[in-house]
Amino acid sequence: MIKIIKDEPGHLLIAVDVSEANLENSELFKSQVTQLFDRHKKNMVIDFNKVEYIDSSFLGAMVSILKHAMGMKLDIALVSLQKDVYDLLLLIRLDKVFKIYGSYNEALLHL
Amino acid sequence: MANTSVKKILLVDDNQLFLKMLARAFQKAGLECINAESGREALALLKTVIPDAILSDYEMPEMNGMQFRQQLLTDAALADIPFIFLTANTDNELMLKGLDMQAIDYVFKDTPVKVIISKLNNLLYTVQKQQELSKNELKKAAEALNVRSIPNKIPAVKGFEIDFWHQPYQDIPGGDFIDFIQVDERYTFIVLGDIMGKKWMAWFFTFSFLSYVRAAIRFCIFDHNYSVAEILQKVNEVICLDDVLKDILSSLSLLMIDNQTQQITYSGAGDLPLLHYEAKTKQLKQISGDGLLLGLFAGSNYGEQQISLSKGDQLFIFTDGMIDFSGNTGKKSDYNNFANNLAPLLNAEMPFENIKKSLFEAAAATQVDDCSIISIYKTS
Repeated sequence: MIKIIKDEPGHLLIAVDVSEANLENSELFKSQVTQLFDRHKKNMVIDFNKVEYIDSSFLGAMVSILKHAMGMKLDIALVSLQKDVYDLLLLIRLDKVFKIYGSYNEALLHL
Repeated sequence: MANTSVKKILLVDDNQLFLKMLARAFQKAGLECINAESGREALALLKTVIPDAILSDYEMPEMNGMQFRQQLLTDAALADIPFIFLTANTDNELMLKGLDMQAIDYVFKDTPVKVIISKLNNLLYTVQKQQELSKNELKKAAEALNVRSIPNKIPAVKGFEIDFWHQPYQDIPGGDFIDFIQVDERYTFIVLGDIMGKKWMAWFFTFSFLSYVRAAIRFCIFDHNYSVAEILQKVNEVICLDDVLKDILSSLSLLMIDNQTQQITYSGAGDLPLLHYEAKTKQLKQISGDGLLLGLFAGSNYGEQQISLSKGDQLFIFTDGMIDFSGNTGKKSDYNNFANNLAPLLNAEMPFENIKKSLFEAAAATQVDDCSIISIYKTS
C-alpha cells in the first residue's frame, strides 16, 4: 500500500503504491500511515505520483491522518499529484487543508 | 449471479507449474487470478488488493498454509475472505484443524481442474447470495423504520421546477443524502450531502447528518435567521462535537429558495461547484462555495451567495459520483467532462426527465460511486 522512500531527520518520504485509492485500501492506508506517525514522530511527505483516482473514502482517510498528525503537532505534505486528483482536491477545497507541492524537492523548500 | 464483475482469486502455491496451470484454467473460466508463490508473498500482495477468495496450498516451505491462514485471521480486513485449502494430504486430523480455522473447504490437488472451478464458483455464488440476503434484510428494516436519506416527494415551488436523480452505487444505499424542507409558504430549503465513504457504513451516518441539518434549519427559522451559511456553521460545530461522528466527514450544498423574491441563497461545505445554465447566453457557469467539509474543523467559516435565475435558466447541484466514471484506462474524476457532456443537452432545451435518461441512466455501467443530482429550473 505504501512504500517508505526516505527517512530523513525532519521528515519521512513515503509513496502511495496503488493507482486506485479507494474504499478497498483506505483503511489499510490510514492504519499504515498512522503507525508511521506514531513510530517515527516526524512530518510526512506523501508522494501520490502513482495514484490516478481517489474516491471519497480515501479522501476521508487522508483527512483523518492529517487530524492525527495535527494532534501530534506534525504536518503532512502531498506531492506529485496527477492532474485529475489535484483538480478534485481543488474543487472540494482540500487544497486549503493540505499542503500540496508539485514535487518532493519543492516540498523540501517549505518543510 | 446478479453481480457480473470479474471475481479475483488469490492462488498461493510454491509449485510454480501447478500455479500456472491452475491460473490458466481459472482465467479461461472468466476468473481473474493473482498468483503468489509463498504465504509471505501473498501477505504482501494483500496489502494492495483484496481478492474475492483465496486458494492456498497447505504444504509450503517457510510459512505453511496453516500459518498463512493464522496470519489472515489476525487481520480484520482479511479474516473474512473465503479461504480454501489446496492439499495433497488426506490426513483427517490435519483437515479438521484447517476447518477449525474457518477455512471453508479442502480441495485435493488431484481433483480435476473443472471440479475445482465449479467448487469455487459455487462458493462465490453462495457468498454473494448471503450478502444479498443481508442487504435485503437491512433494506426491509430501513423501510420498516421509515428511515430514508432520499425523499419520495419533490416540492412544488412557485416559479421553479425542482427535480432530482439519484442512483446508489451497486444498488446499495450509500452516503449521498437529499432533502427538501418547506418550512413555510415562503422558504424552501434544498439539501444535498455526501458522506465520505460508500455503501452501508456511509448510509448509516446520513441519518445523523440529516437530523442535524434539519434541526439547524428549524432552530434558525425559529430565530428568524435565514442565513444558510450560519446554518452550515451550526451543523459543523455540532458534528465536530459529536463523538459518534468522529472522523466522519460530509460535503453539503445548502440552498434556500425564497419564493417571494424568487432568489436563491447558497452555501457549500466541501461540495463540488454548482453549474448554472444561463438560457440567454447558452453558457454553463460554475458557482463555487467556499466552506470546508462538515466535520473537518470546529470553527470553520462558511460564506453564502445569492443566485439569480432568469426564466429558462437551470441550476445543477451534484455529488462527486456524477463526475467519476470507469473508462478504458481505469477510474477517473473529471468535472469538466461532466459539464461538457451536459452542456449540449441544455442548449437543446431538453427537459430534465430526458437528460436523466440520455445522460445519467445511460452512463450507469460506468458508475463507480453513489450519484445524485438536483435540478432547479426557472419557469417564470
